[in-house]
Amino acid sequence: MRPFNPQFILDVIPNLLPFLWVTLSVVLGTVFFGSLLGFVLARAKLSQKPLYCWLADGYIYIIRCTPSIVLLFIVFYGLPKFCLEVFDMDINGYEKIFFVLVTFTLLFAAPISEVMRSAYEAIDHGQYEAAVSIGLTPWQAFYHIILPQATVVALPNFGNSVIELMKEGSLAYTIGLVDLIGKGQLIISQNYGAYALETYLPLAFIYLLLTLGVEKSFLRLEHAFSRQKKAA
Amino acid sequence: MLKITNVHKKYNDNEVLKGVDINVAKGDVVVILGPSGSGKTTLLRCINFLDHADQGEMEFDEYHLQMHSATADEVRKIRQKTAFVFQNYNLFQNKTVLENVTAGLIIGRNIEKNEAVDLALKALAKVGLSDRVNFYPSQLSGGQQQRVGIARAIAVQPDVILFDEPTSALDPELISEVLGIIKQLAEEGTTMIIVTHEMKFAADVATHVIFMADGNIVEEGRPKDIFQSPKEERTRNFLRRVLPQVEYNI
Repeated sequence: MRPFNPQFILDVIPNLLPFLWVTLSVVLGTVFFGSLLGFVLARAKLSQKPLYCWLADGYIYIIRCTPSIVLLFIVFYGLPKFCLEVFDMDINGYEKIFFVLVTFTLLFAAPISEVMRSAYEAIDHGQYEAAVSIGLTPWQAFYHIILPQATVVALPNFGNSVIELMKEGSLAYTIGLVDLIGKGQLIISQNYGAYALETYLPLAFIYLLLTLGVEKSFLRLEHAFSRQKKAA
Repeated sequence: MLKITNVHKKYNDNEVLKGVDINVAKGDVVVILGPSGSGKTTLLRCINFLDHADQGEMEFDEYHLQMHSATADEVRKIRQKTAFVFQNYNLFQNKTVLENVTAGLIIGRNIEKNEAVDLALKALAKVGLSDRVNFYPSQLSGGQQQRVGIARAIAVQPDVILFDEPTSALDPELISEVLGIIKQLAEEGTTMIIVTHEMKFAADVATHVIFMADGNIVEEGRPKDIFQSPKEERTRNFLRRVLPQVEYNI
């Protein structure tokens, strides 16, 4: 058996790092679009209209039951077909990252909507009533009074979801996206399957650093946002 | 100034208000008494549209509207003319005392910041909290928090202030500091509708007393008449039960 080659690890890292930004774009893009969709879902779930509530519930349930990799392939093969048949629009040539973003946005929105909903509900409704009673509009009451406090509540769970997303994002190579993992796979095949261990180890290390970074950033944010609380 | 007629409100099958009329003139201090579950709080909340009445008409100065079908715009106009003091204060936890009081002015009424701060400081001076303006609600006692709640209400210079059991959540020794302020407001001619269980206070400040039970107004009139010679059996029973317990000096 071929001996373990530590030198390869050092050599492979510079080849992987240029693809870090692809991985990060997937994460950042998904967090942005997923949060928007999540907000809409949370709004629907909190709605007084049973239909909206029911639709949001249904969506969240279906997403929960779908493995990420299955959804990834459904979007990758299904979306172009859907667009072609329904809108007569050919999106087959779109970049792979587009399909990855669509998939993970759909996935991320479900748990994040629950994070948002529970954070909103954690803030006493009385503060909202007090705000509208002194003449704020419902939107102003939400934006100025509820949202800043709900954000603090949501941050830890939001951070967890981002970390989870980052790791699930590694599945994107299966439809041919060349991100960190995608590049790693290419390197392994170029070496005919040798040096797999020496490629995956630095990948694990890079993901470890990324996770650490996300975790620390969210801790920072939490501290910054909850300064008022600490004054107590 | 404010007249509401025939207010009905149901929660599921439970009819909480069964056709209540109230008429408030400028400078009135209307005190609503009654046992728990009589609909006092619901009535107050309906006036401010925190609860939506199923039926009822409201005349408030130049506005005339149906309470069950009030538009968002009408609701906002009425709320701009009223303020609400809550049983459990409901202060904005993420804002300082000063910001709690200026929120209604700066955000709700687009008043310039300097002017809003001036108005807020005046309101806070009135409730005796000038030395607490930069504190957060969690750093204050219950009595102080409720005084901020009152400052927040008077700062927006409403036509009428609604008090929903303002002292029910307070320790006995903190009650008098809050009642004292409300009494001072009454002496200054502030129009108020107050739901309370403090009978001595009610007799003291009210210009008009309403006794409610089971969603109806049982009896109303001058405080002297209601407290000393109530006509209805229901009122007499209620007063007999609650009066001996009153022991606060204000």
